[in-house]
Amino acid sequence: MTKIIGIAQLVDNELEGRTNTYSFRKNPSQVTTQGIWFDLALSPGNPVPKYWFGTPLAATAINQSGDGGLYHGASVFPGKKYLRKTTVTVNNVVTALPMNLTLCDYIMYYPLIDEGTTDEQFMTNTTTLPRYTDGKGVQVMAILVAAGLGGQSFFINYTNSEGVAGRISQTVLENTATSLGVVKTSALNANANTCLFIPLQSGDSGVRSIESVTMLGPDVGLFSLVLVKPLANTQIVGIDAPVEKDYLLESGILPEIFPDAFLNFLCIPRGALNGTGILIDMKVVWTT
Amino acid sequence: MSFASNDQIIAALTNGQTWRADYTKNMNPTLAAVANEGHLLARGAGNPPSDALFDVGANLTFIPVLDTTASAGSIQHGGDVQSTGVTKHLINGQAVTSAATVVPATMILVDIVGYYRTTTVTTTTAQATTNTLGLTDTFTAAVTDICTYTSTANKPSNLLTGTRVRLTTTTTLPAPLATATDYFVIRIDNSTFRLATSYANAIAGTQIDITNTGTGTHTITWLLPRYTNGAGLNAMIFNPAATALGAATPSLSLGYTNSVGVASRVTPAVLPVGKTAAANSIILYTGATSAGKYNFAVPRQGGDAGYAQIDTIQNSTSYVSGSYTTALYKELYRVPVTTLGVPGERNAMYEIPSLPRIYDGAALYWVLLSGVATPVNSTFSGFVDFIWG
Repeated sequence: MTKIIGIAQLVDNELEGRTNTYSFRKNPSQVTTQGIWFDLALSPGNPVPKYWFGTPLAATAINQSGDGGLYHGASVFPGKKYLRKTTVTVNNVVTALPMNLTLCDYIMYYPLIDEGTTDEQFMTNTTTLPRYTDGKGVQVMAILVAAGLGGQSFFINYTNSEGVAGRISQTVLENTATSLGVVKTSALNANANTCLFIPLQSGDSGVRSIESVTMLGPDVGLFSLVLVKPLANTQIVGIDAPVEKDYLLESGILPEIFPDAFLNFLCIPRGALNGTGILIDMKVVWTT
Repeated sequence: MSFASNDQIIAALTNGQTWRADYTKNMNPTLAAVANEGHLLARGAGNPPSDALFDVGANLTFIPVLDTTASAGSIQHGGDVQSTGVTKHLINGQAVTSAATVVPATMILVDIVGYYRTTTVTTTTAQATTNTLGLTDTFTAAVTDICTYTSTANKPSNLLTGTRVRLTTTTTLPAPLATATDYFVIRIDNSTFRLATSYANAIAGTQIDITNTGTGTHTITWLLPRYTNGAGLNAMIFNPAATALGAATPSLSLGYTNSVGVASRVTPAVLPVGKTAAANSIILYTGATSAGKYNFAVPRQGGDAGYAQIDTIQNSTSYVSGSYTTALYKELYRVPVTTLGVPGERNAMYEIPSLPRIYDGAALYWVLLSGVATPVNSTFSGFVDFIWG
């Protein structure tokens, strides 16, 4: 496998045609809330939504070939593929802006955690991570898939990226947002454990698998735990200007896109996103 | 030569080695676009005028396109420059609209190198295309293995290393060259080249040892007028006619030879799905949200960086009526348009790679990717600046 190790090599790959730009349009129907992260994978548009349903509590792999996501071309193995640039534009709904976006590789999920029981819910782990197999940098987020009241807390028991089992996450507080696709653990308040990704036990930097979830109080509704690898960040600030980010020039790093990666954006709007068209151009470059 | 410094660019601008192409083009002249539809603006009225090209030609036969092709309706860029030993580049461009309810949108400048027209839209099997190497120029060969073009009618200065060619002669080809045999170009410069027996040899620089100059007039033939080895080329399929296609939603697939000369390449298992009753100018598989709505480019097989030629074209179910066109193109440049009356502008000098190359004969068109519903004949205007030296 050949990595891109310099600007000259990057330019050569582009001039030899090993680049493509893909365009998408997500058009959320969900009424989102200020400061609550939202998973654009669940919003209508192109690509079609992906809902995190499946066999309850069973680890389920996520791949572009089977599940969709932002199409980035087929595998280039034994070459390597990189994200070069994103351009994001929104249409005439300003209430949601400014809005940060995080591009993630969605790797695996555990569907349908029942918020109605305080019993420890044990996961089935016959499937392992299809990418980032050691779990380094892999984060966990809780996506609402059936509305509840919120306000309860939970924690997860997981195996970290060093292979150590029995690790216990920080206890996180659910928000009260009810739109499908919201990240249940993000909120505006000052609670340190209300964030996009579930805070891990001290010293851990990634998750290889989740063994169980424990609700500390009963609620209704369901959420799914999705394991993702954050790849890149961008921001849209207004409807009057596209936001283009060249990851080479502005970050000094080209995020690698693994074969069959399922890509999608998470966003944190300032208000309701419903009715907002979000146009995304994503340029990739690859090696031989 | 290309540009090596800002000073050289300034000198070229000062010397008048530049061209501004102003344009104003209308979108689909017959039907409004829904969000996320892609449209080839060649079909709309304006300046340059609408094309009368892409619905003309023999069924399933490759037809090259140049800026000088009759009725092409492409954006002019200042004529050929390569004969003087220089290269032309896009340095700047702009797109703006004042038409209500059409933003946001993305404008993509493409160079269409040729197309295949499909009129047999009721056939549901893969239909073989005809790829006659129709571009020709004459050359002489020396025992140094170096060949020199002796005519330039079809712009042989565009020929790139790895391009598949064939040879003919009025008498006898230089030994050991033969007619009806594939050879691959090793480019030296705008005027000279060597030949190799395979793509791999061409890339490696392993030329054929030419032992005599032959007799008579020798001719080299090739397929693509630009990006001649296919590297960087994409394909898009659109309705080139005022008549809408019939009511059907076929999967659309291509079989092709990639830019490194490997045949039997295919588009992905989940194929682009054509729109029912697709109207004038629409790129068939864009628009509505469902599986198989990728982008305006047909996805290629994994790892492929371009098309040397398309070998088969298939619509999985009958399109009932109408015709569609599969164009090979090189994407050059994108400009987002976000606000009515506010131009989107991009300086290509500060891109990496910078200054997209504009080859002699480039046939430039805008593709519109609509972010919202876009009315019939919505107007998009702006300019593109070119520089050579």
